[in-house]
Amino acid sequence: MATPLSLKELSKKEVLLTAGHRMCSGCGAPPVVKMVLLASDYPVVASNATGCLEVSTCISEYTAWKIPWIHNAFENAAASLSGVETMYRSLKKQGKIDKEIKFIAFGGDGGTYDIGFQSLSGAMERGHDMLYICYDNGAYMNTGIQRSSATPFGADTTTCPAGSVVPGKLQQRKDLTKIMAAHGIPYVAQASPSSWSDLMKKVRKALEIKGPKFMNIIAPCNRGWRSRTDDAILLSRLAVETCYWPLYEIEDGVTKITVKPKEKKPLVDFLKPQGRFKHMFAPENEWMLKQAQEEVDKNWERLLKEEAFTASLETPKE
Amino acid sequence: MKKILMRGNEAIAEAAVQAGCAFYAGYPITPQNEIPEYMSWRLPEAGGTFIQAESELSAINMVYGASACGARAMTSSSSPGISLKQEGISFLAGAELPAVIVNMQRGGPGLGNISASQADYFQAVKGGGHGDYRLLVYAPYNLQELWDLTMLAFDKADEYRNPAMILGDGILGQMMEPFTPTPYVKPDLPEKTWALNTCKDGKPNVIKSLFMGEGELEQRNYMLQAKYQKMKNKEIRFQVYDIEDAELIVVAFGIAARIATAAVRKLRSEGRKAGLFRPVTLFPFPEEQLNDLAGSGRKFIAVELNAGQMVEDVKLAVNGKSEVLFYGRPGGGIITPEELYEKLSGLLS
Repeated sequence: MATPLSLKELSKKEVLLTAGHRMCSGCGAPPVVKMVLLASDYPVVASNATGCLEVSTCISEYTAWKIPWIHNAFENAAASLSGVETMYRSLKKQGKIDKEIKFIAFGGDGGTYDIGFQSLSGAMERGHDMLYICYDNGAYMNTGIQRSSATPFGADTTTCPAGSVVPGKLQQRKDLTKIMAAHGIPYVAQASPSSWSDLMKKVRKALEIKGPKFMNIIAPCNRGWRSRTDDAILLSRLAVETCYWPLYEIEDGVTKITVKPKEKKPLVDFLKPQGRFKHMFAPENEWMLKQAQEEVDKNWERLLKEEAFTASLETPKE
Repeated sequence: MKKILMRGNEAIAEAAVQAGCAFYAGYPITPQNEIPEYMSWRLPEAGGTFIQAESELSAINMVYGASACGARAMTSSSSPGISLKQEGISFLAGAELPAVIVNMQRGGPGLGNISASQADYFQAVKGGGHGDYRLLVYAPYNLQELWDLTMLAFDKADEYRNPAMILGDGILGQMMEPFTPTPYVKPDLPEKTWALNTCKDGKPNVIKSLFMGEGELEQRNYMLQAKYQKMKNKEIRFQVYDIEDAELIVVAFGIAARIATAAVRKLRSEGRKAGLFRPVTLFPFPEEQLNDLAGSGRKFIAVELNAGQMVEDVKLAVNGKSEVLFYGRPGGGIITPEELYEKLSGLLS
């Protein structure tokens, strides 16, 4: 019997990413990891791509992880875990291990959208029984806030600085969640720590499914977003409420929006508290706000249509 | 000319811009992030192109593409990232494409750490990637040289149609010190008639590293070897300090030479006969020059921030004429001038 997803019951469980790690105060990543691990009633083995999470939770000789954990070079979280998971299956087959163990990979957006994409795609295509979690803070924060393909349009980073000629990042972010869905894997979801129960339900569902699963979870970074240190959860909520970061899942090809905002807020509500978008509010950059809003609207409309369309394809269950 | 104060990584980037670097592709890795960051605004301002790639592999291959089209192209990284670039570097060498590659070394192997190291010496000077090839390898030891050698690397890469590497380290990249920003003067270099930017005479150029015909690849390799020999004849650079009467000659490059200078000066101030030999080019390596200094009871000691790499080349150069010792600290360790002074002091009369 699984632990009920109630705060009362969950608070009795051991937290598997302990205090004492060196992530910045107010970082959105540790709550995400804690929620993911808390959601599992199975023993978990994790791999971690290079990034803030990896470097700050395993300061030499210490570890904040209370589970078996493996790190390899930046591009290899999914590849390393493929090896571990394959060995587990082999040992299980040989009768040397009987425990049901779940395998979860953690990577930031740099290590997932960019350099680690090849190994992620390969692992998903081969069908390893693992859940890959991307904590997306929209830039290479660990090395000093360089742009990634997850960096939103308009953002100011150290390699796409907003100046008088080029006003920040000119490209739209890559929709990795959809790309992973296009792998045809059984479960893909997008989540936010502001909706903890939705996040944990999705993790739980993913872990019950055999095969490759992918979740993309927004994780605000106050250093890179130039926001208040106590705003991580607020900003991740605004990301959902503005439909910049819709909460949905794609299970066996069927799209379902799991949290629909009662009222879709304007994107500026999400952009305004973040210094990285400050220049977009200058009168000459009004077009950027417009373009960013249009992109969000387009993606949201498409998602609503996808939900309706994929539901219509579903054969009614008895 | 007035001196300026800059950070090492930024000095490299600005020197590259002034030397006419038209294309830079990079990827984040500590401790060289200031290079792509500086290039991201400065290079477009100067009319060039900056691209942040999605991996080191893409960055080096973007450089391959830009260089094939005749552009002065550059990339930078630090040790693990340079490992990822090796395939591309081998292809550049095989296809005879000029490029400047900067390695601000950090401690290895594996993820190591982010502090300075010199443990990529073998990788830089012995090839690094697959096949029989060499890079021109420059080892700056202060910011003046970071500036000057970066400019020189572009010229020599073009002259020899060969990738050139600036082998720096985390300390040089992060430190600030004043230096003279000598204006760039472009030497007479032949036009890049080989580049894929024209079909003037209706004859397309071909750039490749694939040679499948009978005997073709072997001939190509002999041609490359002849080029490396020419570098050995013409491009060796080194500096010596107080070596005429030295009983003990310290051989050190880059930041280790900076540390060694302090130790040797202190010994000299006490009237003790220590000297310093500093290779500025690591390939080609100043073999003959070291050999000439060997013999008559003189000792050598290679001092490196690694477990002993260049010392092998010093031994080959000295070829048994003198005793060659080693003092170093591998990835994660930094030698202090005091520590080196004590070590050298014990070896001198």
